[in-house]
Amino acid sequence: MTAGGSDTAAAAPARFLYHPDLTRWSLSREHPFRPDRLQALYELLTAWELMPDGAVLAPSPLRAHELERVHDPEYVRAVRRLSRGDRVDDPRRFGLGTADTPVFPGMHEAVREVCAASVTAIEAILSGSTRRAASFAGGLHHAQRDRASGFCIYDDASLAIHRALDRGWRVAYLDLDAHHGDGVQQAFYEEGRVLTVSLHESGRYLFPGTGHGYELGTGAGRGWSVNVPLEPFTEDAAWLEAFDAVVPRALAAFRPDLIVLQAGADGHRDDPLADLCLTVRGMHDAYRRVVELADRHCDGRLLILGGGGYRPYAVAARAWAQAWAALIGRDTPERVPDAWRERWTEPDGTTPPAAALDDPDRYPPQPRRALIHGHVRAVARRALARLEPIWAETAVGATPTQEGTA
Amino acid sequence: MLVRDIMTRPVVAIAPDMPIDDVIVLMGQRQLRHFPIAEDGRVVGIVSDRDLRTVGSAHPKSRPGVKGSDPVRDLMSAPVWTAHPLDPIDEVASLLRAHAIGAMPVVEEEEMVGIVTSSDCLDALIRMTGVGGAATRIEVELPNRPGELAGLLTLIAEHGADVASVLTTRSELDVAGFVLRVGTIDGRGLALTLREAGYEVTWPPERTTEEA
Repeated sequence: MTAGGSDTAAAAPARFLYHPDLTRWSLSREHPFRPDRLQALYELLTAWELMPDGAVLAPSPLRAHELERVHDPEYVRAVRRLSRGDRVDDPRRFGLGTADTPVFPGMHEAVREVCAASVTAIEAILSGSTRRAASFAGGLHHAQRDRASGFCIYDDASLAIHRALDRGWRVAYLDLDAHHGDGVQQAFYEEGRVLTVSLHESGRYLFPGTGHGYELGTGAGRGWSVNVPLEPFTEDAAWLEAFDAVVPRALAAFRPDLIVLQAGADGHRDDPLADLCLTVRGMHDAYRRVVELADRHCDGRLLILGGGGYRPYAVAARAWAQAWAALIGRDTPERVPDAWRERWTEPDGTTPPAAALDDPDRYPPQPRRALIHGHVRAVARRALARLEPIWAETAVGATPTQEGTA
Repeated sequence: MLVRDIMTRPVVAIAPDMPIDDVIVLMGQRQLRHFPIAEDGRVVGIVSDRDLRTVGSAHPKSRPGVKGSDPVRDLMSAPVWTAHPLDPIDEVASLLRAHAIGAMPVVEEEEMVGIVTSSDCLDALIRMTGVGGAATRIEVELPNRPGELAGLLTLIAEHGADVASVLTTRSELDVAGFVLRVGTIDGRGLALTLREAGYEVTWPPERTTEEA
């Protein structure tokens, strides 16, 4: 696609997808996935005066049967029936009614709204009305074609990416969640117009057990599924080094028209579900890098999604505030307002930290730091050794898609 | 899993009078590392890529006096260790290791029906450890007495999670270690439940909550 006629778009505000309906649902009482963290984020950004006029955008409804683009009709039917209290034979075969994804009234509508938010966000970019948008309610990257998985019922990221493919755009999907982005990778495993890159705690130790370095994509998608499985207890410096080693090269080889970032915040060392040891400072640095890469490779076009984050306020909301600040080119204040901290105490009763970025001396270094760092470096090197020859082949005679982007 | 589930077939077998030079060419073309040698459908020997590559060299395993123009009969190893299609693969794997060999022809009723290699065993092992859909790894150590694993699996079922696979890591007089792959993203939540019930969970590790 071409880069002309963009002055108004550059000046247009980034869009923040928000509606109270996106925050009010929950999978069950006490469930670790807390959609109200979006409200906590919104209130923090408002308190910090980082929510410019005209930024907030409410989701527009999905098209008829749009969910069926990435999900089996039978599965969508089952979710809809359970959502209104009707019986479904053996819901567990759809991954529903499990410990991870219990059945709850209104589940279809709630998660469809999340999908609508992410699709509305990407449409704002596709239409040229802005270059940057965020849908922190989204990033449900585990949902499978025919079943719910890992707290995810519908795959909003893949739905949004399909909208971009409809216009002939090439999409780079970058997944920084602690868990492998298996649903999105699978949805585009044979697709040459979508690059998926996932940095995650190794499947050897963590759900969903996939995302090994030898998962490269097949057919036209060969070389466009990139996986960097990390050791448990990986810290900021090693994580950022792996990012720097792999992500810029992958983007340069692929030449995207748009980057979609899944900004799952469960890689933080305080997250109760995973074992990476990142801090909000490291995440902040990664978000800044993604914005720079979007500027370098695709005229700044960037959609940020949420994802995991099971310290919902103390970590997820605080980290995503940094992502949003990077997206609008601002810095946050150094301190989190006390009123916000008191209002958004964690489910376990702790108060979120006062520092916007984590204080470096808050956490002692991991005992096996050097060993882990060395392993992470080796994993990144091995990934490139596999991928670069494939990219080099693909680059010969490859023509970027030009049509349909006006 | 049995040998018949993992063996390679059909087998590329060669006649004992084929010149060694021709076997070397064939091995390069077929990208194989072992050739059984058959006469009237019966296995009479086997050659490996190392046997072939060391012909006429100073390699200590080289057979003295054997040249490339000689028949492969002069180079082959005989008699041959063979497997049966119904052998369990763990038995075949331990035989391969015990005799320091890389492949065994599979023979049924004196007829060669396939070949099983150490790579086949490794592939089978990868499949066994990586089975199932999305899952979290849980490691436990149980007292080595009847019913302990059953009790653990019942508790996991009550928690609402499916068990995709169970592997043994060690089995000693009083303790047995297991790796389970369980269909939940919240492995720590499950680990907490198991710990509260008195189980020794070694992965995921216990975490001390840090003060805010």
